[in-house]
Amino acid sequence: MRRWAHRTHLAGRLLAAVALLGGCGRAADRRAPRPAGTVTVTDDAGRVVSLAGPARRVVSLAPSSTELLFALGAGAQVVGRTTWCKYPAAARAVPVVGDGLSPNIEAVAATRPDLVVLYRSPLNETAAAQFARIGIAAVLVKQDRLEDIARAARLLGTLTGHGAAADSVAERMGAALRATETTPGRAVRLAFLVWDNPPMVIGAGSYLDQLAALAGGVNVFHDLPAASATVSLETIATRDPDVIAFLEDSATSSAPAYATRREWQTVRAVRERHFLALPADLFGRPSPRAAEAVAELRRLLQRGSGKWR
Amino acid sequence: MGHDLILALREVSARYPAAPRDALAGVSLAVRNGEFVAVIGPNGSGKTTLLRVALGLLPPAAGTVEILGRPAGAWARRELARVVGVVAQREDNLFPQRVRETVLLGRYPHLSLWGAERPEDHAAVARALERCDAAALADRWIWTLSGGEYQRVRLARALAQEPRLLVLDEPTASLDVRHEMELFELVRGLVNRHALAAIMITHHVNLAARFADRVLLLDAGRAAAHGPAVEVLTRETVERVFAWPVAIEPFQGAPQMIPLRRPQP
Amino acid sequence: MALRWLALAGLALAALGLAVVLGPAHVSLADLWTSEIVRNLRVPRALLGFVVGGSLAVAGAGLQALVRNPLADPFLLGLSGGAGLGAVGAIALHVGGPWALPLAAFAGALAAMALVFRLGLVGGAELDPRVLLLSGVAVGAFAGAVTTAIVSLSEAAQLRNAFLWLWGGLSGASWDTLLVLCIYVPVPLLVLFAAARPLDLLALGEEPARYLGADVTHVKRRVYLAASLLTAAAVAVSGVIGFVGLMVPHLCRGVWGHQHRLLLPASFLGGGVLLVLADTAARVAVAPHELPVGIVTALIGVPLFAVLLRRWATT
Repeated sequence: MRRWAHRTHLAGRLLAAVALLGGCGRAADRRAPRPAGTVTVTDDAGRVVSLAGPARRVVSLAPSSTELLFALGAGAQVVGRTTWCKYPAAARAVPVVGDGLSPNIEAVAATRPDLVVLYRSPLNETAAAQFARIGIAAVLVKQDRLEDIARAARLLGTLTGHGAAADSVAERMGAALRATETTPGRAVRLAFLVWDNPPMVIGAGSYLDQLAALAGGVNVFHDLPAASATVSLETIATRDPDVIAFLEDSATSSAPAYATRREWQTVRAVRERHFLALPADLFGRPSPRAAEAVAELRRLLQRGSGKWR
Repeated sequence: MGHDLILALREVSARYPAAPRDALAGVSLAVRNGEFVAVIGPNGSGKTTLLRVALGLLPPAAGTVEILGRPAGAWARRELARVVGVVAQREDNLFPQRVRETVLLGRYPHLSLWGAERPEDHAAVARALERCDAAALADRWIWTLSGGEYQRVRLARALAQEPRLLVLDEPTASLDVRHEMELFELVRGLVNRHALAAIMITHHVNLAARFADRVLLLDAGRAAAHGPAVEVLTRETVERVFAWPVAIEPFQGAPQMIPLRRPQP
Repeated sequence: MALRWLALAGLALAALGLAVVLGPAHVSLADLWTSEIVRNLRVPRALLGFVVGGSLAVAGAGLQALVRNPLADPFLLGLSGGAGLGAVGAIALHVGGPWALPLAAFAGALAAMALVFRLGLVGGAELDPRVLLLSGVAVGAFAGAVTTAIVSLSEAAQLRNAFLWLWGGLSGASWDTLLVLCIYVPVPLLVLFAAARPLDLLALGEEPARYLGADVTHVKRRVYLAASLLTAAAVAVSGVIGFVGLMVPHLCRGVWGHQHRLLLPASFLGGGVLLVLADTAARVAVAPHELPVGIVTALIGVPLFAVLLRRWATT
């Protein structure tokens, strides 16, 4: 009996000592200067992410991040992507580890990454915590509007050791945002239609609205602060856009399905078949090629939209 | 009105699907108008099955069932409902109604698909309520009725069908002595005064003996005895069928069954 | 007695009038007759809303009598799950054409209806209400699971937007849609109206109903099929709009009683009024945004339901 009590007493003291040392250790980490080569950033969710050195094996779980990583020259370091990450073409060689909607922690961990890049959302914040628990650093990046690109570029550039490339990308984005060419004549009024039933349009909160403004057009729904909103068909008809733009995955030249529906004929742009199909890989999300996108959109608007059958 | 043969079962056997044995075997029964027949027997002896076969709901495996000379299976349901009024054992009225409305449902067999209720329908309802001594209840909500009152209302509904045959399946199951007596008197009166035929399935052997013209005693699907109560309710028969010692005592000309206590050790 | 009908008819006209006059786009009264928006958008939408709302309400009343459950709703029988699966399947398979979604949803709903019907007959059960309800829930859940799987596995971004459609809305209303519905709806509607008396009898129970002359088996089948066909059409045209089929019959019973001869036509008018008013509110309340109409019917329906419950509990 006495020997048992003695043992537990000893074990208790041992446990306390370990805990104390561990706590000391962590506190020491926070206070001590970091060893050379350490990379530390604060991501878009306010989390501090620290790596021992530039990430060598990166899993990117958002198409915008994948594109950005390749644009920074970090493509060789990308070891995992989602099925939706199809740009640039080189990205398709990277193995797929999920669809990105809710990260498959095991599949990602199987690629032994030292960094996971996630799109910033509440679901992904939980996923990032899970990655941290198994010792994989995760960073959350917000890329909703054009001005986010520069910051995201710097963030990912620092983490992957491509700081210089990041700076040049950021500069190009800044130049693109500042560029204003005056367009001859009246600005083209357009509406971006994401879905037809119920009609969903893009508002001021979206990068597409920004692209339109930079390209010399006017989003007729610019007064709606959200990125997208459901509106009545008659609102679209009343605001009378000159052209209706939509994102197209494949290079088709057919008008959208709703173009022949009777109720849509009250919208002049539909009745006169003034549609604008925007390639999804260029316009689908804010990307480093924003300047290219703006130029393309300006060209399309000035040409006058094609007439569909 | 003559004594027409309303219902005739001849040597009827019936079996439920996937059942190991016959529910009815070789049962015969004839009911004429002006007759009150009681069907009695232990639980599971086939009384409700007899009802279903008689009304064409269960086809007989053997024998014939005829209503007014036609096979029961040949009657359309609406047609049959104009001839036979049934007060079923269980009713679960889902929606609240007034007495008058629920009795009016009994006129369904007489209404056309789209037609509204006609004055003669309302007259039939009034007549039925009066005959069942329920005229005063006409505007009451049915959930405010007592058990006995509700049974009278259901009987009125069956009468509103203007049937020639009344069938009642254990109508006094949960009624007290007064309401039970009233119901038996009611049925007897209807049979006497309006020349209806009536079949009543009941557990109340003694009242059946006093009120019915004939009694059919069923035992495990077979007819153990059939005829006037004094012939059917003998001590040997009753003890055999109900598997319980009884004494039979006459009362006002009808044999009354008195169950005996088992000898205590 | 006639006063109630006049009041309901007046309410119907008022609701339709409001739906035509009010809207996110400002159309002055003077321009009302000539405005293209009014003629080609608001009028067909109001009429379509009326027909859809009425159909859902009558289907709901019929189903409540059929399954002998006052909580029955047309979407309890798995039809919405089937419709969603059909719609998502059409998008995933890249079926084109302006009518692809409604037709696919309709086909999906019919498939669900047939499956539940078949399940209701298993083991000799003759559309036993409890079996129907359980099968409906099971089929709906299964269809919903398959739908979610398709959406999460597929690459088409459009699929997630399909769910928006399923939430319900009259955005697709046009004279064409209205015409199709007006040709289709009368038959199942008439079948239900013709079943009014047998449904009254069914309220007593299946056995008493048989003894009173109702052909219970056939009535149940006809009512189930007709109610399901009406609901399938409603879903195909306007997605899943809840509460109309559940609430309107109860509201009408409070005024017209339980006789289905009166209840069914009253429910049709009442359902039409409710949906048209809800759709007007959906379009106007937060203009230029448009709310899904299913949300508005719930917002209106739940407080009404609470009032009804109180009255029911105190009687």
